[in-house]
Amino acid sequence: MPIAHTPTAVPVVVDEAKCIADKGCTVCVDVCPLDVLRISDLTGKAYMKYDECWYCMPCETDCPTGAVTVNIPYLLR
Amino acid sequence: MTVFEPFEAFGDLEEIAERLASEDPSVRRLAVLDLVETSSGEAVPLLAGAILDVEPVVRQQAAQALGEFDGIDVAKALIGAVADPVAEVARAAADSLAELRDPEASGVLLPLVTHPAAFVRAAVFRALKALQVDASLGPAITGLGDDDPGVRVQAVGVIGYLKKTETLPSLISATRDKSADVRLAAVNALSFARNEVAAQAAAAALSDPEWQVRAAAAEAIGRIGQASAAVALIASLADGYWQVRQKALQNLGRLRVRDGVEAIVAFLDDELPSLRKDAAAALGDIADQRSRDALTRHTGDADPDVRKTVIWALGQIGGG
Amino acid sequence: MDEIKNGLSEVVCDILVIGGGTAGPMAAYKAKRHSPGARVVLLEKANVKRSGAIAMGMDGLNNAVIPGYATPEQYTKEITIANDGICDQAPVYKYASRCFEIIQELDGFGIKFQKNENGDFDVKKVHHLGSYVLPMPNGDTVKKALYRQLRREKVLISNRYMATRLLTGRDGRIAGAIAVNTRSAEFLVLRAKTVILCAGAAGRLGLPQSGYLWGTYENATNSGDGYAMAYHAGAALANLECYQINPLIKDYNGPACAYVAGPFGAYTTNSEGNRFIECDYWSGQMMQEFYNELQSGKGPVFLKLNHLHSDTIGKIEAVLHQVERPSRGRFHENRGTNYRERMIEMHISEIGFCSGHSASGVYVDEFARTTVPGLYAAGDMASVPHNYMLGAFTNGAVAGEHAAEVAANIDLADYDAADVIREQQRVLAVTRREDGIPPNQLEYKTRRFVNDYLQPPKVTAKMKLGQARFAEIREDMESAMVVRDAHELMRSLEAASILDCAEMAAFASLFRTESRWGLYHHRVEYPEKNDDDWFCHSILRKRDGRMTAEKRPVAPYIVPIDESERSAYDRQRIRQHA
Ligand SMILES: Cc1cc2nc3c(=O)[nH]c(=O)nc-3n(C[C@H](O)[C@H](O)[C@H](O)COP(=O)(O)OP(=O)(O)OC[C@H]3O[C@@H](n4cnc5c(N)ncnc54)[C@H](O)[C@@H]3O)c2cc1C
Ligand code: SF4
Ligand code: SF4
Repeated sequence: MPIAHTPTAVPVVVDEAKCIADKGCTVCVDVCPLDVLRISDLTGKAYMKYDECWYCMPCETDCPTGAVTVNIPYLLR
Repeated sequence: MTVFEPFEAFGDLEEIAERLASEDPSVRRLAVLDLVETSSGEAVPLLAGAILDVEPVVRQQAAQALGEFDGIDVAKALIGAVADPVAEVARAAADSLAELRDPEASGVLLPLVTHPAAFVRAAVFRALKALQVDASLGPAITGLGDDDPGVRVQAVGVIGYLKKTETLPSLISATRDKSADVRLAAVNALSFARNEVAAQAAAAALSDPEWQVRAAAAEAIGRIGQASAAVALIASLADGYWQVRQKALQNLGRLRVRDGVEAIVAFLDDELPSLRKDAAAALGDIADQRSRDALTRHTGDADPDVRKTVIWALGQIGGG
Repeated sequence: MDEIKNGLSEVVCDILVIGGGTAGPMAAYKAKRHSPGARVVLLEKANVKRSGAIAMGMDGLNNAVIPGYATPEQYTKEITIANDGICDQAPVYKYASRCFEIIQELDGFGIKFQKNENGDFDVKKVHHLGSYVLPMPNGDTVKKALYRQLRREKVLISNRYMATRLLTGRDGRIAGAIAVNTRSAEFLVLRAKTVILCAGAAGRLGLPQSGYLWGTYENATNSGDGYAMAYHAGAALANLECYQINPLIKDYNGPACAYVAGPFGAYTTNSEGNRFIECDYWSGQMMQEFYNELQSGKGPVFLKLNHLHSDTIGKIEAVLHQVERPSRGRFHENRGTNYRERMIEMHISEIGFCSGHSASGVYVDEFARTTVPGLYAAGDMASVPHNYMLGAFTNGAVAGEHAAEVAANIDLADYDAADVIREQQRVLAVTRREDGIPPNQLEYKTRRFVNDYLQPPKVTAKMKLGQARFAEIREDMESAMVVRDAHELMRSLEAASILDCAEMAAFASLFRTESRWGLYHHRVEYPEKNDDDWFCHSILRKRDGRMTAEKRPVAPYIVPIDESERSAYDRQRIRQHA
C-alpha cells in the first residue's frame, strides 16, 4: 500500500526573524516531550516537523528569543 | 555498526569561555545557556562577567542563569544587575536573587535596603525574606516606612517569616497602611501570634474598606484562635460582600463560637448554596444542641453538598 | 537527524531508572544519595528537563499528608474506602508517613509550595476530615529544580532513549533493559543490578473525543510502555479493569481543576447551575454520577466560577494559566469563554491506565518491589492507588533507596544475548519493508476500538468483539507496519505498547465478573458489587507466552475500618480532588 501525505495545519509557529538556530540554538528541539520540532536544513530555523503536539508549551517557554508560539491544535480549538 | 556515548555531557568551561568572547551576541547568549549545563560552581565567575555584557539580551540570560547557582558571589553579581537600566534584565536579576538560599548572602544584601531605586529595595527584601536571618529584622521594620508600597509589602514578608512576638506592634501599624496590598500582607502576617493583641488587630481589620483584607482578617482570627474576637466575627456575618460572610462563617466554626449559633442558623436559608453549606459546617463544628431543629429542617436542601454537610453536622451534634 | 542508523552500545550500571518524569528523577536522586559510588543511569524517552506529567509543573499537591492537617491513619482509611476496599494498605500508609519529609526535601530544592506570610505551608482545608491540598503557585519550577539536583549528584542521564524491553537473567532476576534512540534508531543495552520502572501512565489508550491522537489527558509521551515491558518480563499487574477516567474541560481535554478552584469556591454543576454530585470523595462512584448527569436531560456539566469576585477569579487564572497546562488560557480565549461571565463546559476523558487517579498498575509492595526480583515500579504505572504527583515522588524515593541497597550487595545477572538479537529483529522489522501501514493508522484504529468496545459501561459481547479486532490489528502490525525514519520507529513501538495495553484492558475487564469502582468498572451484565467472590485483586500476567488472570487476596488491613465508619465516611467526605 503506497503512503500518501495528508495536509495538516500545525499548531506551533516559529518566527524565523527571531529564531537563532543558525547560531547553534536547539533549545525547543531539545525540550519538546513529543520530539516533533526540528531545525530546517533549508532555512536553518526551527519548525514543527510532525503534527503530534500535546500543546504543553515548553518549546515556547524555554525559547531564549521568544520565537515560538504554541496554538491550540485546530481539531481542539 | 557505530558505538556511541549515551549520556548527557556537562560541557567544557574553556570552550564555552571562548564562545562567550564571540562578536556575535546570539553566540554569547547560547554560551550562557551552556554554562548552566555544566552545573559547576566554576561557571559563576564567567556568568558574573556575562551579566555586564554590552547586549541587554545577554545580560538578561546571565541574570536568569545565575538563579541556578547559590552563594555570595552569585549575590554580588546579581545585585549590580537589579539596578540595570533595562527592565527585563533587572526583573530577571530580582527573580534570581529571590532564589538564593545561602544565609551568608544576606551580608551582601543588607547594605542595599536603602538603595535609591525602589525596585532594588523591594528585590532585596524579597530575597531576605527567604533567607530568614534575624539581622534583616531591623531594616525590615524601617522598611515599613518606605515611600513605595511594593517595598513595604516585602518588608512585611521579612518580618512575618521571622515570627517574632516583639514585631507585633510594627505589623499592627502596617494593618493601617494606606495601601491595601500592605494591609492584606500585614493581616496575614500577624496571625502567627496566638494572643489577644493580634486577635484585636485582626478584628479591627474586619472593618477595612477592601473586602480582600476583611476576608483575610476573618481567616486570621480563626488562626489566632482567641475567643475575644468572636463578637467582631459575628458582626461581620452582616458584611456587604458574600465572600467575607463566608470566611466569617468558616472561622466561627473553627473557633466553635456558641454565641454565633443563632446568626449562623439564619444562613441555612441563604440563597447562595456555598453559604448554606458553610453555615451547616460551622454548626457541625460548634455542635450546639440549639441548632439541631434548624438543621433537621434542612436535610432536604436542593443542593447535595449542603445536604451532606447538614447530615454530617447533625451527626456531630448527636443525641436527641 | 532521524535517519535510521545501525548502532549498538552496551553500558553497565548498578541502578537503572527508566522514565525521567516525576518518580524517576526522585528514584535516581535517592539511589545516588544512598550509594554515592554507584553508577545510576536515568533513561528517558524525551528530555528530563521537560518530560512527564509535570513537564510544565503542577498546580499543587492533591494529597499532601501534613502533620496538623491530616494523619497517615486517616489518609489510609480514606484511600481504602475510595477504592472500594480493594487496597493493600501497607504502601499507602508508607506513602502517607513519608510524604511530608519529601515535601520538605522538595522545598529545599527550591520547588515552590504556597506559603502564608509566616513562611508556613498554606494547606487548604476543604472538608472536615483532613486537608490535603497544597497549592504550588510557581509550580513551573519543579522540573528545573529536579534537573539541577540530578546534575549535582552526577546521575548519568540518557535522553531520547526509549526502553523497549526488560532483560531478565536465567535465574529470573532482572538483568537490565534494551533501549532505542528515538532519533537514530541505535540500540543501547543497559546492564543493571536493579531496575526501576517509572514510565508513567498509559495515556494513549482511549481516543479523545476530538479524534486528535495527541490531545490526551495524560502527557502523550506516556504510551503505556512501562505496562507492556513489565508484562513481557512476567511481572504481575493488578486491577487493570479499574480504568482512569477524569473530568476535564471539554475539547481542551485538560484537568478541570476543581482542586485549584475548589478552595476558592468554584464547583461542578449541571446545566441548570446546580450541584449534583452526591459522592463524597474522588472515585469511580463520583465519575459515575458525572457520567449519568452528562447523559441526562440536565447535561452537560459545567465548572462554575462566575459567582466569584473578579479578583478571586484573577487569582485562580494566575495559577491555571501559568503552570501545569498553561495553554488553557489560549483555549478559552479562542472560544471567547471568560470564567467571569460563563460557566465552563466539562466532559469526561478517554480511558487510560493510571494509579495516579485510580487503583491499577504493575503490582508493587511497600518497598515498590514488583514480583520480578530486582525490578521496581513507582509513579502512575505502579499499583499504589491515588498516588498523584507526591506519591510519584515519595514512592520513587522508596524505590530508589531500596534498589540501591539491594544493588550494593549483588552482582549483575547474566542475560541471554539471543534476547537482544530477537529484540533488534522485532524492533527493526518495520524498517525493512518498502511499503505498508504507518504506525499512526494502526494506533488510531486500536484506540478507536478501545472507545467502541472497552469504554464503560462494559458489555461482554462488545469486549469480545474488541479482542477479535485487536488480534487483527496485531496481525497487520506484525506483517505490514512500516516506518521511514527513527521518529516513526518510536511511534511504531508505542503503537505496539498501546495494543498490548488494550488487550490487557479487555482481558482484565472480562475477568472481573462484578461491578466495582463506579464507572471505572461498570459491567452491565453484573451490575452489583460482589464482595463474596470479588473482594480481591485481579492479577494479570504473562505465563508461557500467554495472558493469564488470577485472584489475589487483599492484604489484611493495618488500619482497620469498621462498617459504621465506612458509611459515615460515605456521608462525610466532601469531594476535593480533580
Ligand atoms: C494534566 C495533569 C494534571 C495533573 N495535576 C496534578 C496535580 O495538580 N496535583 C497532583 O498531585 N497530581 C497531578 N497529576 C498527577 C501527577 O502529575 C502524576 O501522578 C505524576 O506526575 C506521575 O509521575 P510519573 O513519574 O509516574 O509519570 P511521568 O511524570 O509522566 O513520567 C513518566 C516518564 O517516563 C517517560 N517514558 C515513558 N515511556 C518511556 C520509555 N519507554 N522509555 C523511557 N522513558 C519513558 C516519559 O517520557 C516520562 O518522562 C496530574 C496529571 C496530569 C496528566
Ligand atoms: S528555541 Fe527559539 S531560538 Fe532556539 S531554535 Fe527554537 S525557535 Fe529557534
Ligand atoms: S507544545 Fe509541547 S508538544 Fe507541542 S511542540 Fe511545544 S513542546 Fe512539543
